[in-house]
Amino acid sequence: MKFLRLYKNDQVFRIALGIAIVVIGYIASVFYSKMQQLDASVERIATSSQTQLELEKLLSIITHYETYLRSYIITKDEAYLKNRFLDRGEIELNFVELKRLTANSPSMTRSLDSLKVMLDKRFDLFRETLTLARVRNADKQMLNDKLLESTAYTIQMRDHVYRAIDREAKKLKKLNDEHQFGLNDSMVSAFLLVILSLLVLLLSFNRVSSDIYQLQKANDELKFLNQAFNNAEKVANFGHWKLNLTTNAYTFSENFYRLLGIDPDSPEATPENIATFIHPEDFESAAKAHEESLKTFASTSVVLRYVLPDGKTKYINSVGSFMQNSKGDQIKVGVNYDITEPYLKNIELEHNNRHLKAVNEELESFNNIVSHDLQEPLRKIQMFISRIQEKEDGVLSEQGKDYFGKIYASANRMQTLMIDLVNYTRTIKGDKTFVKTNFSSLLEQVAQELSINVEEKQGSLTFENLPTIKAIPFQIEQLFINLITNSLKYSKENVPPKIRIAGVKITEPETIQDKVVTDRQFCKIVVSDNGIGFRQEYAEKIFVLFHRLETDVKYAGTGLGLAICKKIIENHNGYITVKSKPGKGTDFSIYLPKT
Amino acid sequence: MITHKDPIHILLADDDEDDRNFFSEALAELKMTNKVTLFKDGKELMDYLDNPDIKMPHILFLDLNMPGKTGFDCLKEIRANSRFKELSIAIYSTSSAEKDIEETFVGGANIYIKKPNDFSKLKKVIKDVVNINWQFHSSGLNKETFFFSI
Repeated sequence: MKFLRLYKNDQVFRIALGIAIVVIGYIASVFYSKMQQLDASVERIATSSQTQLELEKLLSIITHYETYLRSYIITKDEAYLKNRFLDRGEIELNFVELKRLTANSPSMTRSLDSLKVMLDKRFDLFRETLTLARVRNADKQMLNDKLLESTAYTIQMRDHVYRAIDREAKKLKKLNDEHQFGLNDSMVSAFLLVILSLLVLLLSFNRVSSDIYQLQKANDELKFLNQAFNNAEKVANFGHWKLNLTTNAYTFSENFYRLLGIDPDSPEATPENIATFIHPEDFESAAKAHEESLKTFASTSVVLRYVLPDGKTKYINSVGSFMQNSKGDQIKVGVNYDITEPYLKNIELEHNNRHLKAVNEELESFNNIVSHDLQEPLRKIQMFISRIQEKEDGVLSEQGKDYFGKIYASANRMQTLMIDLVNYTRTIKGDKTFVKTNFSSLLEQVAQELSINVEEKQGSLTFENLPTIKAIPFQIEQLFINLITNSLKYSKENVPPKIRIAGVKITEPETIQDKVVTDRQFCKIVVSDNGIGFRQEYAEKIFVLFHRLETDVKYAGTGLGLAICKKIIENHNGYITVKSKPGKGTDFSIYLPKT
Repeated sequence: MITHKDPIHILLADDDEDDRNFFSEALAELKMTNKVTLFKDGKELMDYLDNPDIKMPHILFLDLNMPGKTGFDCLKEIRANSRFKELSIAIYSTSSAEKDIEETFVGGANIYIKKPNDFSKLKKVIKDVVNINWQFHSSGLNKETFFFSI
C-alpha cells in the first residue's frame, strides 16, 4: 500500500528511475572494462601459444639441420647442404618473430638472449663439423667427437627450449584460468545488467501506460464536461466568450453564435463578425464599458441589443470578469444571457404597474369624492330636512311629514352606504402596519363608541379572555364595530340584544377551508348574539359584497359590513366562519394567527 | 381666559354659504350672548386677524376645504404667530379622514368637529364647544379627546 503510494508519487518515481539509470550505467561500465580485460587476456593467450609454437619450430629446424648434416656426411651429396648452415635466414626470421612475441616479458627476453648465444654456438659447431666432413679422408675420430659434441649441445639446447616452453605453458594455463574467471564475472554482470534494465523498462512501461490511462480518463472527462457545458449553454440560453489580453484573440462559444441566430459551423461565425450584430445605438456604450474594464480589470455588466440576421432584436445581458490562464495571461471571460423575454416582460410589467398606480390613484380620488364631495350635498339635504321638520312641522300635512320622513331615511341610508364603501376601500388598499394590539382595550374603545347604539336597544355587550396579538388596530376596530352593529341591527323585536365576545381556546384542531387550524398557531374569538339568526346554508353568502339576506326595510343594511369583516380577516391571514339558526342567534368565529 | 362677563367672540371661516347660515341660525337659536364674525374664505380670515387693532377673538371654527387659502394654511399661519396663542381653534369639516385629523392635531388645532347632518346636533356641538373649559381641555389634549364626538 505504501509502496503503491510511493510508486504513484511522481517525484519519488523520477528519483527511483534516476537511481536505476545510474546503477545500470555503472554496471555497464564495469561490464565494458571486464570485456576489455577479456580481450587483452585472449590476446595474451594467443601470444603465449604462438611463442610455444615458434620455439618448437626453432627446435625442429635445428633437428632438421642436424639430420641434413648427417645425411651429407654419409652420402657426400651437396644437395643436403643447399642454402643451409651458411646463412641462418630461416632461423633469423623465426627468432625475430619470437622477439616480437616476447617483447613484453623480460624473463622470456632473457631466455631468448641465452638461446641466441646457444644458437650461435650451435651454428659454430655445424660449421666446424661441416669443415671436418669436407676434408678428404678426414679424421674419423675427430668427426665423431664433433658429432657427439653437437648432439650433446643440441640436447642441451632442446632442454633450454623445453624449459621455456614449459614456462610458457604454465603461463598459458594461468592466463586461461584467469580468463575463465573473468568470463564468469562478465556473464554475471551482463545478466544483472539485462535483468535490471528489464525491470526498469517494465516499471517505466507500467508507469507510462498507467499515466496514459489517467490522461485518457481525464481527457474523456474533460470532453464530457465540455459537452455538458455546451448543452447547458443551449438549454439556459447563454453563450460565453473569452479575450486573451496577451494575444488579443477573441474566442466565442458555439451557443454564442446560436444566440445571434448564426449557425456555429457557418462561415459567418467569426469573431470579426460579432460586432456587426450589435445594435448601432448600443455599440458605443458597450464598447466603452468593455474598453474601460480592460484598463481597470473590473467586472462588467451591460445590457445591449443585438440585431439578428432575420431582423429580430435580442436583449442580451453581457457580464464579464477577469482571470488568469495557466500561462499567466490575463483573460476576460464573459457570459451573454438572452434576457429578451424577461426584459420585455419587465417592460410590460412596468407599464402595467404604472397603469395600476394610475387606477389606484383614481380609486383614491374616488374615495375622496365619496368621503367628502358626495357627503357634502348629502349632509345639506339632511340638514335642510331637519330644519323643515323642526320649523315647518305645523304647516306640513301628514303625508308631507311622511314623505320627509322617507327622504330623511333614504338620505341616512345613503350616508351609511358611503361610509361603508370608504371603509371597504380602506381595508383593501389602506395602510397595513401590524402592531401589537391589546384586544381588550381596543374593545373597550369600541364599546364606548357604540354605547349609545347598545343603550338604544337596551342591549348588553360583554367581552372576556381577549388576546394581545399583532394586528392592524384600526381594521380590528372596524371589524368589531361591524360585527356588533350587525348583531344590534338583526336583534329580535322586543328582546334586548345580548352580545358576547370571548376568546376561546382551540381544544381540538379545526379544519377551515381545507386548512387545519390549531391552538399553537391561532387565537379564536367568538362573537355570539341572541338575534334573529339565519339558515346555515346562507353562511357563505353573508360575506359576499352587497349581499343581503333580509329585504325587510326595518333591517337597513348596505351589504358591505360583513364583506368588510371578511376582507379585514383576510388581511390578517385569518379565517371567519359563522354558525346560525333562525330564531336562535348567530355565532361568528374569528381565527387570527398568533404571530 | 374666558369669563362670563366677557361676551365670547366666535369666528367662522367657511366657504359654504349654507353652512355659514346654519351656523349663525344655530347660534341665534341658542340665544347665547356671543359675537360672531363670518368669513367666506381663508384670505378674508387672515386679513382680519392680521389687523393689529382688533380685540383677540376666543374661538375660531375653521373649515378645511376652502378655495385659495385652505384651512390647513390658516392653521399653520395662526400657530406660527405667538400673538394668537390664546385663540382656540376648532376644525369644522365634512371630512373625517384619519389623514386630516392627524394633520390638524399635529398642526396645533384644539378640537376636531365633523360637521353634523342634523340641525339639533349642530346646536349641541356649538353649545358644547363654547362651554368647554379650554384650559382644562388643552392641558389634557390627546388624539382620543381631540376628535369631538357628539
